[in-house]
Amino acid sequence: MLDYAVAESDMAEFWYIRPGYEHAVQKHFKNQQEPEVSLESLIREKDFNEAGKGSAEVKNLLKRLGVNPDILRRIAVAAYEAEINVAAHSLGGAMLSNIYPDRIHMVFLDNGPGIADIEQAMMPGFSTADEMVRELGFGAGLGLPNIKKNTDALHIVSEAGDSTMLEFLVFFNNNGQ
Amino acid sequence: MDNKEYFHAVQIVEDNCTGCTSCVRVCATEAIRVRNRKALIDPARCVDCGNCVVACKFHAIIPKSDSLELINKFKYKVAIVSTSYFGQFSEDVSYEVAKQAIYELGFDQVEEEAMVTDFMIQMIRDYVRMHRNRRPILSSNCPTVVRLIQLKFPSLLPNIFHIEAPMSILTRYLRDKIQKEKGLKENEIGIFLIVPCPAHVTAVHQPEGAYKHLQDGAFAISMIYGKVHEHIKRLQNEPTPNIVTYPKGLTWALSGVQADLVDCEDIRALSANGIDNVIEILSRVEDHYLDQYDYIVLRSCTNGCVGGFFNVENPFVAMSRIKKMIKEGKDTPVNLKELEELYRAGEFDVAPLSPRPIMELDKDIKTAIVKMKQLNEILTTLPGLNCCACGSPSCYALAEDIVQGKATIDDCLVLLKRYTLESIQDDFLKKNKNKE
Repeated sequence: MLDYAVAESDMAEFWYIRPGYEHAVQKHFKNQQEPEVSLESLIREKDFNEAGKGSAEVKNLLKRLGVNPDILRRIAVAAYEAEINVAAHSLGGAMLSNIYPDRIHMVFLDNGPGIADIEQAMMPGFSTADEMVRELGFGAGLGLPNIKKNTDALHIVSEAGDSTMLEFLVFFNNNGQ
Repeated sequence: MDNKEYFHAVQIVEDNCTGCTSCVRVCATEAIRVRNRKALIDPARCVDCGNCVVACKFHAIIPKSDSLELINKFKYKVAIVSTSYFGQFSEDVSYEVAKQAIYELGFDQVEEEAMVTDFMIQMIRDYVRMHRNRRPILSSNCPTVVRLIQLKFPSLLPNIFHIEAPMSILTRYLRDKIQKEKGLKENEIGIFLIVPCPAHVTAVHQPEGAYKHLQDGAFAISMIYGKVHEHIKRLQNEPTPNIVTYPKGLTWALSGVQADLVDCEDIRALSANGIDNVIEILSRVEDHYLDQYDYIVLRSCTNGCVGGFFNVENPFVAMSRIKKMIKEGKDTPVNLKELEELYRAGEFDVAPLSPRPIMELDKDIKTAIVKMKQLNEILTTLPGLNCCACGSPSCYALAEDIVQGKATIDDCLVLLKRYTLESIQDDFLKKNKNKE
């Protein structure tokens, strides 16, 4: 897990853990195990031609590992949404995918400008997307709620005027074991 | 991976193959490798799309269809003609004459795929409305698309329209009807398809999800074209016989027009054709990004079946001709009652399609991860040129082949050259040292 300072006052944080997965999620962050396979890719600001390629790459990797097709689709949706979020709303950033035998941990880190109110951003339909982004068909305000719906754990840390870190976990078995 | 033997209409003529790797580069499923200077198709991966046939400059990849003599084995011979056939002739050849020419090949009865187009549209709408929880429903007419989903997008298998294709529906319907009407036994009736692509030949010989005996063979439009053309020349000077045609049904050959027909107030349809577009769309469907569509028409060839390369005419010209025929033609009403009854009775259902996983490195995820690590390691040593000289389609594919024990690092010619140069340099340095 990425280290971050909790002391700052403008910092907003959001946690979601799917009921029943508390123990598995806790274990993941506590053990800080080395991932078996990692993938990294850059996400450029407003580059909608390229955005989505990083998550497509992850999807192909997971297919090669034989991850259950339904779980693969959940990961694909969450990864794509998060990648597009960085491209659409931030000054650009990077995504890191850590794969373990039983789970994937994805981290999206951007260069700002941060989410002012995460609780609000989690509301379906809420969007701060500008005109250009909406014209391209993105920014319907479904991004974050959609990520939450498809993941077993979601954690967002953001500081207004600074960067945002979004990370999520999806287990390859339906029970998190 | 299962050990099922797969039939394929696309085959390699080894004597003609030079091992040039043109086919390896264009294969949509990375099914071809050149080993010992000959191309080999992995039958488990091939979807009969035909990209390789077009790419081969040495006539070394030949799509096969059955020989016309096959019909003589049967007492009563029936041809079912694909819609795209009617777009293959110059505009002075009438629809009726083009159809009459098929009889001249020796068939007792000639029927058209176009006859059931209207019925198909109704069934698709009905099916979509009954499966609202499975958006979008994906068309199943193109055998290449169905196999592509089995191979690369197994999570989308439940979304496939699990109803037989129009030519198979007709086969089911005609076989029973002819038996009753003519008092013939099932094995006395030979039902054959006249098809625009090798994938349809494969589907006849190895249908996916078929519950019953369907067709007895398939003939390529290109294979019968010469003979048909001679008959047409003769028939054009004779009075036009009374032949039933279904111009409105010819829309089946055009993927875009077909989507427009399915589209209605409560059903939104999308059409995509060309195998690369199909792969992209399927990937978007997998990400749930096309859930706003109720039905997606997917065809591996340009413009739909008019783009199948058993056709002789360019897909755009053929499309324009068919559109003209649709516009100018008068339709024959078809009594759909019997077909509807069969549909309600589940006679056109397809068994749930099963995946043909080719992507996974191993059945066990832990072993797959180990292999993935090895693959990544090998990949860092490979030059990344994707030159194909090793016979695999890319450096990534070679790394995968090495991990799976199907190739070795020595297959990489770029590395081999580098090592050879290095060893020559080493020898040279050693010799110089010895002299000193």
